[in-house]
Amino acid sequence: MTQPDANALSLLPTEMVEACDDFSSALSTCSTLDELNRLKGIYIGREGSFSSRLMDALKKAPKEQKRNLGAVVNGLKKTWEDAIKVRQSELETAKQHLDSAKNAWDATLPPPTPPTGALHPLNRLMDRLVDVFRPLGYHVEEGPEVETEEHNFDGLNIPEDHPARGTADTFYLAQHSELLLRTHTSPVQVRVLKRLAPELEKKGGIRFLAPGRVYRKDEIDPTHSPMFHQVEGMLVGKGIGMHHLKGTLAYAMKALFGPEADVRFRPSYFPFVEPGCEMDVHCPLCGGSGCRVCKGSGWVEILGAGLIHPNVLRIAGIDPEIWSGFAFGMGVERTAMMVSQTPDLRLFFENDQRFLQVMGGLD
Amino acid sequence: MLLSLNALQQELPAIAETSLKDLCELIASLGFPIDGVEQGEHGPVLDVDITANRGDVMSHRGLARDLAAKLGLDLSPVELDPLEEGDALVSVRLEADACPLYSTAMLTLGALQSTPEEVKKFLASLGSSAKDLAAVDASNELLHRYGHPTHAFDADKLQGGIVVRYAKAGEKITTLDSVERNLTEKDLVIADDSGAIAMAGLMGGDSTKVDMDTRRVLLESAWFEPRVVRAMARRHGLHTDASHRFGRGADPSMARIARDLLAARLKNWAWAALDGAWTEGQEPAIGKPINLTKDLLQRIAGEPLSIEDAALLLNRLGCVVEENTSSLQAAPPTWRHDLTLPEDLVEEVLRLRGYDLIPSVLPPVGSDPEPLAAEYQQRHGIARRLASLGFYQTVTLGFVSPEADAEFADTSAEGRTLGNPLGYEFSVLRGSLLPSLQHAAEHNLRQGAREVRLFEIAPTFHSTSNGPEEHSTLSIVWAGETGGLDPMTSRGPVHPAALQGVLAALGAQGEVRTLEGGIQAVEVALTDIPASPERVIPTFKGFSRFPSVERDLSLVVPLDLPFAHLKTAIQAAVTGTPLQTLTCVDIYRGKGLPEGHQAWLLRLIFQGDRTLMGEEVDAWVASALESARSLKAELRG
Ligand SMILES: [Zn+2]
Repeated sequence: MTQPDANALSLLPTEMVEACDDFSSALSTCSTLDELNRLKGIYIGREGSFSSRLMDALKKAPKEQKRNLGAVVNGLKKTWEDAIKVRQSELETAKQHLDSAKNAWDATLPPPTPPTGALHPLNRLMDRLVDVFRPLGYHVEEGPEVETEEHNFDGLNIPEDHPARGTADTFYLAQHSELLLRTHTSPVQVRVLKRLAPELEKKGGIRFLAPGRVYRKDEIDPTHSPMFHQVEGMLVGKGIGMHHLKGTLAYAMKALFGPEADVRFRPSYFPFVEPGCEMDVHCPLCGGSGCRVCKGSGWVEILGAGLIHPNVLRIAGIDPEIWSGFAFGMGVERTAMMVSQTPDLRLFFENDQRFLQVMGGLD
Repeated sequence: MLLSLNALQQELPAIAETSLKDLCELIASLGFPIDGVEQGEHGPVLDVDITANRGDVMSHRGLARDLAAKLGLDLSPVELDPLEEGDALVSVRLEADACPLYSTAMLTLGALQSTPEEVKKFLASLGSSAKDLAAVDASNELLHRYGHPTHAFDADKLQGGIVVRYAKAGEKITTLDSVERNLTEKDLVIADDSGAIAMAGLMGGDSTKVDMDTRRVLLESAWFEPRVVRAMARRHGLHTDASHRFGRGADPSMARIARDLLAARLKNWAWAALDGAWTEGQEPAIGKPINLTKDLLQRIAGEPLSIEDAALLLNRLGCVVEENTSSLQAAPPTWRHDLTLPEDLVEEVLRLRGYDLIPSVLPPVGSDPEPLAAEYQQRHGIARRLASLGFYQTVTLGFVSPEADAEFADTSAEGRTLGNPLGYEFSVLRGSLLPSLQHAAEHNLRQGAREVRLFEIAPTFHSTSNGPEEHSTLSIVWAGETGGLDPMTSRGPVHPAALQGVLAALGAQGEVRTLEGGIQAVEVALTDIPASPERVIPTFKGFSRFPSVERDLSLVVPLDLPFAHLKTAIQAAVTGTPLQTLTCVDIYRGKGLPEGHQAWLLRLIFQGDRTLMGEEVDAWVASALESARSLKAELRG
């Protein structure tokens, strides 16, 4: 700021001189545009401001002083205007920053997303199995959980004196002693075979998957539950053999666990199939190189299967000389525990949201 | 079943060269997975899982025989000195068909007896301790080695002759385990003049048991009908090494051999002298010839196996085979009770060849594929919708306690009660899913969850005279405090209306109940939820391309006025106008409102098939306001 010469300043009223001296500090204390506007009004406003009063004083000044005083007044006015303009631009910039900060969304804040939920892991696994078999033309068949001995045992070639029929293994209803809680999803086989037997020739065969809840009289512990899930599968056609069972399950395991998933069959025994087998799949965790889950063998047992026993077809009214087929059944919890390394079966039925959130998903 | 590797190798010396790992694989490939291997005093002990149909494999000799067939090798010969049979020293009468054959011998023991250390170790490694009674230990050793159960009676404790018969009603026996058992007329017993002295195929009786003072023994090596033995074992809860073997079918041709082996051991271990040996009855006929055609063989095998190859393998198993080019006839050996169908023979052929060799082929497509059932799809649609709305699907047990059930079920628990539940709290097939979900919600709250959102889709059971009917049911619970997890949603306790809203999103209605602890709960039958439209995409509905006009109405309304009422009233008032949507976009219940009132910000959107004029929209909004006023809603000042 150019200082007006002292000689000229002496011509001004004292209050003006003080205002001159105060300007700098007054300007620097303006921290908002409003304050600056007030200061602007005081110093360079149209009416009553210091500059307008200076102009009045200039008009009234004696002629010989006018020239000197005019230079001083104009100098002061310009100094004030310039300084206010600079400050104004500074404050405007600051305000813009503040405004844009106010409007901006902090991307590091949690977004207003809808709450998360999840399907139950056991349902997800059963759905996956259905997805795996859909391309092969399998649809889903379901049956009641309260079943008859006829569907749960007789129709499956399970002998009259088989221990599974006892009250130590199977839940029976108190008021309807002929009714029981199905011990496997296999009664769905019996129901479907009986239903479709009359139109089998017209239909040309049967293919379906039967996922569902089953019950056995086991105390609840880390590996047992009185209720669990199975997925049963069945195909009936003409000329069906063990190679078809193997081909189907080999495809399914690759679809489920990936193209590297090899399978192997071992002989086994179930009353409703002949020949019977159990199937191992390359350990989905180590891929076959051996780990804790597969006890170092590289293989894990995944399901039981076989060709439908001729007696099962016969009981349903289907001629085993013409028709043949295969059936397989998988324990859902067992597979889920194996794949996820969940240490305790009870976690699946406890329904703790923390478990469901980690193990679940939306598909 | 535990098997000593050492003893297995004695039966099939050729496997001595096979590594333990390979041997385990080999046994598993025959259908008997190895559950574990332990190191015993007598060498490694394998825990082999024998399937229920193969009683013949339940011994070292039995498994070795299957391995020998698989490998095409020969078993060690059984060192046997057949006893010469003569007249019965004690009369044996077989009165029941269930015991067609009874071989026996009487021996007088020497002054000293001792069980060889080798045998003691063998028995110990199989978890069975030697009793230092030659007759008992030898019988036990033979059972594990050859699979045929035998028994020895103290001959001096017998009263009169032996009869094998069904028990008489009310008859009792105290078995070797010192338990007194009430027999039924279906129980097969060995009896003397005093009554039952053994339960056939299960366990001997206490009154005739062999002890240190026994001087003379009467041996029993018989054959009992498997069905009868199984039923007895189950009836009395008495499952023994003997019942497992007789129950699955013993080899009748072993009856004499086992007796002879037992007698030979007594001679060696107890200086016993034979008084006489005799047999009552005949071996039952086991293994009717089975006809197997090439067609069936090749259909099941999935490859062109020849009848000759099949015959060779079946022969190795002990079948007597006759064959021509298109079929064979195989008579199973006396130890294979499980072979009755041609399919059984094919399984044996494949088993010996190895299931690994079965080709892998997708089956030809016979039937047309079918779509998934609508009910199944509906359940899945609802589950996905609820999960995307923030709810967790649960799986809970199908039975609950009678009290929990009574609180929610709509029918009596009678007809839904289990006769043999795991316990009282699991005794009723639930008439509602809510007790289970309530329990799960409480668990989560106890675990510190601030908000719980759970649902389950499962059958509920409803009593009818024919037994329980199953209804597919959806239940939802919402508990705790909702919101407040992001800056845009405010926090507060779950309101019943919110759950009603979730149900509405599914197109359903139901009565929301507030359970203890502020748990909001609702249950609906799946049949009460409208099925999702069958079309993949809905029918096209035209929409206007002219600009829409949006007007907000800020109203002060009484707290008890439901929004739905106001909406209906306004819609009725502006019928005929192009009102597209009417929603409440903000609710205010804070300060500055008259007591008992809240403020709603309503948004009305008009859109027609022409450009709308401001004046006409003003008039519609005015009628909307007028109808709102009729419900005591006022413009907010
Ligand atoms: Zn592994």
